[in-house]
Amino acid sequence: MAEHKTLPEGLKDFSLNGKAALVIGAEHPVGRVAAITLAEAGAKVLIASQEAGTDDALREVAKAIEATGAKALIHVQRAALRADLRAAADLAVSKLGGLDILVTALDSPFYGPAEAADDSAFDRVFEDNFKTAWMAFQEAGRVMLQRGGGVIVNINSVLAERGVPNATLYCAAKGAVRNLVRALSLEWARRGVRLNMLECGWTDEQGSPAIEPGEFSEKLVKYLPYRRLLKPEEIAGALLYLVSPAASFVTGESIAVDGGLLCRV
Amino acid sequence: MILDSFKLDGKVVVITGAGRGLGRAMAVRFANCGADIVAAARTVAQLEETAALVRQIGRKCIIVPTDVGISGQCSAMVAAAIKEFGRVDVMVNNAGIGEDSFGKPIEQITDDEWHRGIDVNLSSQFYCARAVIPHMVKAKRGKIINVASGYGLRGGKHNYMYACSKGAVLQLTRSLALTYAENNIQTNCIVPGIFPHNEAMMKFFKGGKFIPIGRPGQDEDVGPLAVFLASEASNHINGELIIIDGGGLAGGVIPTGVAPGNPS
Repeated sequence: MAEHKTLPEGLKDFSLNGKAALVIGAEHPVGRVAAITLAEAGAKVLIASQEAGTDDALREVAKAIEATGAKALIHVQRAALRADLRAAADLAVSKLGGLDILVTALDSPFYGPAEAADDSAFDRVFEDNFKTAWMAFQEAGRVMLQRGGGVIVNINSVLAERGVPNATLYCAAKGAVRNLVRALSLEWARRGVRLNMLECGWTDEQGSPAIEPGEFSEKLVKYLPYRRLLKPEEIAGALLYLVSPAASFVTGESIAVDGGLLCRV
Repeated sequence: MILDSFKLDGKVVVITGAGRGLGRAMAVRFANCGADIVAAARTVAQLEETAALVRQIGRKCIIVPTDVGISGQCSAMVAAAIKEFGRVDVMVNNAGIGEDSFGKPIEQITDDEWHRGIDVNLSSQFYCARAVIPHMVKAKRGKIINVASGYGLRGGKHNYMYACSKGAVLQLTRSLALTYAENNIQTNCIVPGIFPHNEAMMKFFKGGKFIPIGRPGQDEDVGPLAVFLASEASNHINGELIIIDGGGLAGGVIPTGVAPGNPS
């Protein structure tokens, strides 16, 4: 990528030239942005899904990446299966020549009163939001530790920090990932693996309650400091900072991309 | 192109405490990303050295000798920046004192020591924000970067003024962020962990061996974070505290390595 050679001196350590990256959950809007961002910054990217049957969505992401002149590989998987995650990590090593960066963009919603939720809801929400992240960190981490280092970023939600009613299991699973990142970052800090998080504010994306027409979304937008929803592409800068060598002294941390929402009383 | 959104071409960045340490490292990094610098601090000789480094890179730098603990000097400094460049795109409130002042029992700390510390570490950030915000409101954009400390989030033995002033900086950041979000002014806070600036501090912090990542912070570590927060790449980040500490604040509940001031 020619433009990297003309980067100002002060931005050279933001470049991902030569890095191998795995993005899990690339069928989600923020996962898609992550994959494109990493490729634009110079990384070779393996685009993996969270859910099976997402071939079309992944192919579209690959196309967007190829439009920037970079190459992209696709791995359709069900990320809740350990064997699939292991295959993804191994594929990165065999096809991209390594695994320097893992980005997980996992999402599985939960709405409804807590007292009515059955155990299958618990299992699904924790499996998709928490256990999958845990297994992905383990599988990618295993490779990174062996190869001398790497960077992991989990794309999460402001609901990792705060609660909302009728989304209890979601808040719990997201918050669990927050503290997993803290603990695991400490365990791997001296072995060259950094772990950090992004916390997205209310996002303008399919399936979000924030875009369903009605009283909730109208009031919500007025409550947001920017009076508008986050566009998925607005996470790109924070993601690139965290995965790049520019953030080599940052680990166990989380950056909220929320326009200031978490400052509210 | 994502990397372009980090560029600071032609931006005017005001930095307090620019004569040494983090402030100088940020000035150099900003200049390396295309920004012009207004360097403020008390000691002219140190400012001259920073200015020389910035000019060597090919960017403009004016120096404004300033005692940031004094309100009038902060507004005069911002006025000097506006006079020279016509605007301030980024205000970095970095000046601070007392990072090595721990250890004095409370009854030995004078009122003057307390007030001087609060003035320089906290009030200066208020004074500079107050002076710069009308210009940013008029320009319909701006970035304010406050520098706090891990001691703003945690306590330390015999650590009063420093912990209090830095903790208050976090709150100043949040309230500025909420208030001026609709004016497209982002206010964020860099929270550095252990960055020893002299031999004595390096010794006090045991060479940073207790830090999870295995080393203390170096001034140059903060530059890229400051660039990110000064650039359009962070336009949706507001009121946020970003901890840059090698993992220190992620833990702290078991005696791994043991930070100074804790029983070992």
